[in-house]
Amino acid sequence: MAAAPGELPNPVPKSTSPGRRPSPTSAKTAAATAFQRHGLTDEQLVALLRTMLTHRTLESRGFQLNRQGKIPFASAGEGHEAVQAGAAMAFERGTDILVPYYRDLGLDIGIGLTPYEILLSLFGRAADHSGGRQFPHHYASRKLGIYSISSIIAAQLPHAVGAAYAIKYRGERRAVLTTFGDGCTSEGEWHESLNFAAIHQLPVVFLCENNEWAISTPLARQMAQPDVYKRAEGYGIPGVAVNGFDPVACYAAVKEALDRARAGGGPALIEAKCYRFLAHTTDDDDRAYRTREEVEARRKDDPVPGFERVLIEQGILSEEAAEQLKQSVLAEANDATDRAEAMPYPAAHDLYTHVYAGGCEPWR
Amino acid sequence: MAKTDTKAHAIERYGLSDEQLLQMLRNMLMQRQLDNRGFQLNRQGKVPFALGSEGHEALQAGAAMAFHRGKDLLAPYYRDLGLALGIGLTPFEIMLSIFARADDHNGGRQFPNHYSSKAAGLLSFSSILAAHIPHAVGAAYAIQYRGEHGRAVLATCGDGTTSEGEWHESMNFAAIHRLPLVMLVENNEWAISTPLHKQMAQPEIWKRAAGYGMPGRRCNGFDPIETYGAVSAALERARSGGGPTLLEGMCYRFLAHSTDDNDMTYRTKEEVAEHRKMDPVPRFEAALTELGVIDAAGIDAMKKDVLRETNEATDKAEALPYPAPSDLYTHLYEGAWQPWQ
Repeated sequence: MAAAPGELPNPVPKSTSPGRRPSPTSAKTAAATAFQRHGLTDEQLVALLRTMLTHRTLESRGFQLNRQGKIPFASAGEGHEAVQAGAAMAFERGTDILVPYYRDLGLDIGIGLTPYEILLSLFGRAADHSGGRQFPHHYASRKLGIYSISSIIAAQLPHAVGAAYAIKYRGERRAVLTTFGDGCTSEGEWHESLNFAAIHQLPVVFLCENNEWAISTPLARQMAQPDVYKRAEGYGIPGVAVNGFDPVACYAAVKEALDRARAGGGPALIEAKCYRFLAHTTDDDDRAYRTREEVEARRKDDPVPGFERVLIEQGILSEEAAEQLKQSVLAEANDATDRAEAMPYPAAHDLYTHVYAGGCEPWR
Repeated sequence: MAKTDTKAHAIERYGLSDEQLLQMLRNMLMQRQLDNRGFQLNRQGKVPFALGSEGHEALQAGAAMAFHRGKDLLAPYYRDLGLALGIGLTPFEIMLSIFARADDHNGGRQFPNHYSSKAAGLLSFSSILAAHIPHAVGAAYAIQYRGEHGRAVLATCGDGTTSEGEWHESMNFAAIHRLPLVMLVENNEWAISTPLHKQMAQPEIWKRAAGYGMPGRRCNGFDPIETYGAVSAALERARSGGGPTLLEGMCYRFLAHSTDDNDMTYRTKEEVAEHRKMDPVPRFEAALTELGVIDAAGIDAMKKDVLRETNEATDKAEALPYPAPSDLYTHLYEGAWQPWQ
């Protein structure tokens, strides 16, 4: 099932939200596989590929460092590169707010976090934005508008909706992009957040990265019908499904929704259909619950080599330039790894810093 | 508001006999009488609290008629007087709850209008919105796990409850496991003081069913026969292994939320009066008269009988004692252990 970019691996019907025009990205016929750049320049298309390659390289690095005993934990977003690179391209830096979940390395890079900052988080070093105190992959950056998040599934959604409420209350022209996996949609907070955002027409875009697995729970045991976007109608907001292996399609869907949200058009639910190629995290062995055949079959649609091929076929990137890009990404990842590893852990006497006001250390 | 064309639907009786139609009318008249009595007793200072289900009579009488006594389970909410009556609770039992007497099924310890009855299959529930929906789903899971064919759970809630996370989690779980559950939302357009349009961005709750992958249907909750037809079909589907259904019964709350609420602070008399024109009780009286099932004299006699039974139940319950203070810790700890004595 070799789906070309722009074509869905599985047929996805158009949104049925009443009175809304279905997004042009919500479905593609087999005939309409011609490359659409949705207004992106060559530079932006190459930047998308660079984000995807950096994402893939850093994911790999996380697993390597964990197996080498150098870091305690890493989670894996392989298979999410396209949706995250595309969504990040639609995000307006300095204006929008990102409330991500723990599998959003590509989104964070795409909106401006550097590989060095990623590695500081993975190594738990003192110079990390969270002072080496957060869970790995739980990035936060005030400068970039990335909220610090909890690992608790769906806990970030009420925060995202609250931020959107503040934007509306203050009359600002901004929007919030929040992301989550398919498992998150079964949480009560998910429902409460979507309903509240819909009632108040808040500027928030809910992006579901549906990778078909919630740790070991397959989609069929997560919901009785497999299309998350179809829930949008029940809340009275637009819902759309998009091929999460196509970064340009994801860009277009997220851009349309963010633009509408900023302009006061209210929230939207986007479902990007992708797949999780690796285990849930370095602490998980997915052979316990899914077959190698299933994973191998989905690997044929791998978005990273897929998008590289598209850019070469479209004459946007030469084979040599693609090779150079990969070398450059690897060099940057290596440099970031070495630099972060050389940095110190938080000092033991900093344990209570930021915990109490005024340097109070109650147990001393 | 859906139109209330009772006469047209009365022709399609969904197999209901004259006796059953009269039972539904009596239930509706009894609900109205007992609701009134609760408010009167509260204003007389005799009971601390009462809830009114005026406007829900038809919906509840119809749903109760579809319930299989001795088989099905009911997980109601606090505005389900008519459902409790319809599945077998007596006015005396209702009064024991409102008066909080020792003889009440909960020993006078539950909130008024929070009935429960093991014999009738009526689950004891919490006042917390949506807290009882996971319980209903759990009961349905047990039925499926034990392979008890021919049983189902009827759960009810108001429109406000649909905004709670537990409601969503329950619907999703019931759909995944195809549990024998009927979720009946009694949409009366008001969640205490929150109107429907501030509760949800689109007003059709039944449409959420598609997102969960279960059938959804809306019925006119001012028409007891139509409601019976909808609930009956959904329960039958659940009992035979067909999985859950989301039903939305459209009604209206004629009274304030409870005796502790003044609805004139958030809605107008005109709005209430407008909805009163569709009052299901006189409409159903007219429909049954039209059908020739009962005449004016029969209705009058039924009303007198309902009032007599209500008066007797009130007097009997009022004359009974409160729980004894020495019983304070009974049912709290195993044995008669009383840690503070």
